[in-house]
Amino acid sequence: MSLIHFQILSAALFSIGIYGVLARRNAVLILLALELMLNAVNINLIAFAAYGELAQAATGQVIAIFVITVAAAEVGLAMAIILRLFRDRSSVDVYDVDVMKW
Amino acid sequence: MMLDAESVANLGVQWAWLAPAICAFAFFAIVVFSRFLPKQIALLSPLAILASFGVFWYVLNEFLSSGGGIFSVDWFTVGGTTFTLGIMIDPLSVVMLGLVTFVALMVQVYSLGYMKDQEGSFSWYFAAHSLFAAAMLTLVLADNFLLMYIAWELVGACSYLLIGFWYHKRSAAEAAKKAFITTRIGDVGLLIGILLLFNETGTFDISTIIHIAENGGIGSGTLTAAVLLIFLGAMGKSAQFPLHVWLPDAMEGPTPVSALIHAATMVVAGVFLVARAFPLFFMSDTAMLVVAVIGLVTALITAAMALVMTDLKRVLAYSTISHLGFMMLALGSFGFTAAIFHLVAHAFAKSLLFLGAGSIAHGTGGKRDIREMGGLWRRMPVTSISFGIGLLALGGIPPLSGFFSKDEILVAVLDGRGSLFFIMTLIAAFMSALYMARLLFLVVLGNLKTENDHSHESPLVMTVPLVVLAVLALGAGLLAPGLIPGYDGFGNWLYFKEAEAYHINFLVMTLSVVLSLAGFGLGWAMYSRKSLSADRIRGRFAGLHRVLVNKYYIDDLYQFGIDRAVLAFARFMALFDRIVVNDTGVNGLGRSVFLSGWRLRYLETGKVYNYALGMAVGVVAVALIWLLLLPYA
Repeated sequence: MSLIHFQILSAALFSIGIYGVLARRNAVLILLALELMLNAVNINLIAFAAYGELAQAATGQVIAIFVITVAAAEVGLAMAIILRLFRDRSSVDVYDVDVMKW
Repeated sequence: MMLDAESVANLGVQWAWLAPAICAFAFFAIVVFSRFLPKQIALLSPLAILASFGVFWYVLNEFLSSGGGIFSVDWFTVGGTTFTLGIMIDPLSVVMLGLVTFVALMVQVYSLGYMKDQEGSFSWYFAAHSLFAAAMLTLVLADNFLLMYIAWELVGACSYLLIGFWYHKRSAAEAAKKAFITTRIGDVGLLIGILLLFNETGTFDISTIIHIAENGGIGSGTLTAAVLLIFLGAMGKSAQFPLHVWLPDAMEGPTPVSALIHAATMVVAGVFLVARAFPLFFMSDTAMLVVAVIGLVTALITAAMALVMTDLKRVLAYSTISHLGFMMLALGSFGFTAAIFHLVAHAFAKSLLFLGAGSIAHGTGGKRDIREMGGLWRRMPVTSISFGIGLLALGGIPPLSGFFSKDEILVAVLDGRGSLFFIMTLIAAFMSALYMARLLFLVVLGNLKTENDHSHESPLVMTVPLVVLAVLALGAGLLAPGLIPGYDGFGNWLYFKEAEAYHINFLVMTLSVVLSLAGFGLGWAMYSRKSLSADRIRGRFAGLHRVLVNKYYIDDLYQFGIDRAVLAFARFMALFDRIVVNDTGVNGLGRSVFLSGWRLRYLETGKVYNYALGMAVGVVAVALIWLLLLPYA
């Protein structure tokens, strides 16, 4: 196992996440895909922390934990928005939501 | 003449500021209370000037017992420079203080009668008079150029207000505008000159500047430029050629205003300014020569115009300009004392003449054309006699005041500038006597015209100032030689560098008397005995007469210049502003933003997946660019 394997995993996860965000119409699934992307970044950070030149500094781990925290908060917020959306128009399909324009 | 700043200021110096302050207070009080007491409150103005006149006596008394000095307080500090606000009491400012307060008092008392039945706001008239008095007194007392400049501008503004007092009359409004703009041309020069001196010395204080200059602290080129620019300001205010065009038009104002502002006080501010800065002028031969030449040219050409004008006030106006020219000429010929003495003598006589002209207009129902007058002494004896005294005084008949002062000027010119200037001055003096004779024989003497049969003498409130001024015009000349023990003559009191005794040059005196008498004799022959026909002479010199009546076409030249150059440029600028600045610049920018927003708003779909795609593509693009540029980083 070396750095490159982690990077391939991370890149794959990230790409799946992007695909999910762009192709899915269900808001909850888009949120899940976003989580995938965040975790891909986390893997990247941890891998660099373990193999990189600044391994002792633990910077990568710290930032990864930070990202997890932010992600949790973000999920809380996003779920609340999606819930309101569903109550409002009985749908979580993002194709139905186009009121955020001029 | 100049006093050093260290001398201890006596009480007179310390309290001299009250004179302008009282008048300024009267101005505000009249403006505030005029709504409640529209007529009565105006009385505050003569009372205030009377109080200022009292302050003058106190200051004079203190000055005679313990000398003059400077009293100044700090005003404000900018950077390392502290500006002061101060009063300078020396013979020059004491003379001016007395002159201004006295003439203003006479004119305001006279105005109480004259303006009673005139249209326009009675209280506003007196409010403006008070403001003018405050500004003029500040001007003559100021110990630094900055304060003087402020007062100078304020005086100009009051002049504007009073010339345009009957502002609904178009000619009056135009005259006020012309006076203000013409004097402003000079004022710009004055400001630049003052700032030049400030730049050289770091102070506005007049005596400090003079001290520095006398010790060679200012380069001679800079000094010459600065004093010439200051003289430009003096030319504007004192209506010297070629900025003299505003004064005759200023006669559109009420006649007492002409007497106070455009004969006795404001127009001599220019002479006063040159006198105040005289040590600076003295150091530059070029500047002195310019002052003398401008004064001489002004005295000559305007005296000639006074000969042909038919409007009484205009004749007096051109005579005023001519005499201001005499004063400038005297200053330029190193005749400091002569200039100031003529200033005083002229102020009494000319305010008397203007007030007399007002009284004549009052008594004859508003007549101003001298061809319609004549024989008025039969109906208005007091006015006529005092008016006649004023005419004789300025015509230079001994022993009236004008004779002494004109004589002093002639002596100064002969000593300072030589015979060419002297002869020209004599010609101007002769013309001065001639136009005064013309007024004497056409207005006061002669046969009463039937349409003037019902003309009447003015009320006491108007004739008393006339009589008082007439007495002064008669007797002020006796101040020149020292006749009473303890008083050694004007020249021992007010002088530059060294006291000058009253000197009698018999040749000059004889010439001056002969020319004055010749002027009056010729006037008598032409206008009274009619043995010389004025019409024939006019016919002989028709071309010259036309040039004079048309004021040498100077006004037309200015009008042409304004129409062709100034207005054309203004039109071009207006067009530039409309097309380039406004339509293209401001409106064009606004319209382009509006249009681009109108088109670009379709990019905002409001659909989440569009935005997400945009973000993804953007990230990829940034990553690609970064990759491509990496080798060069």
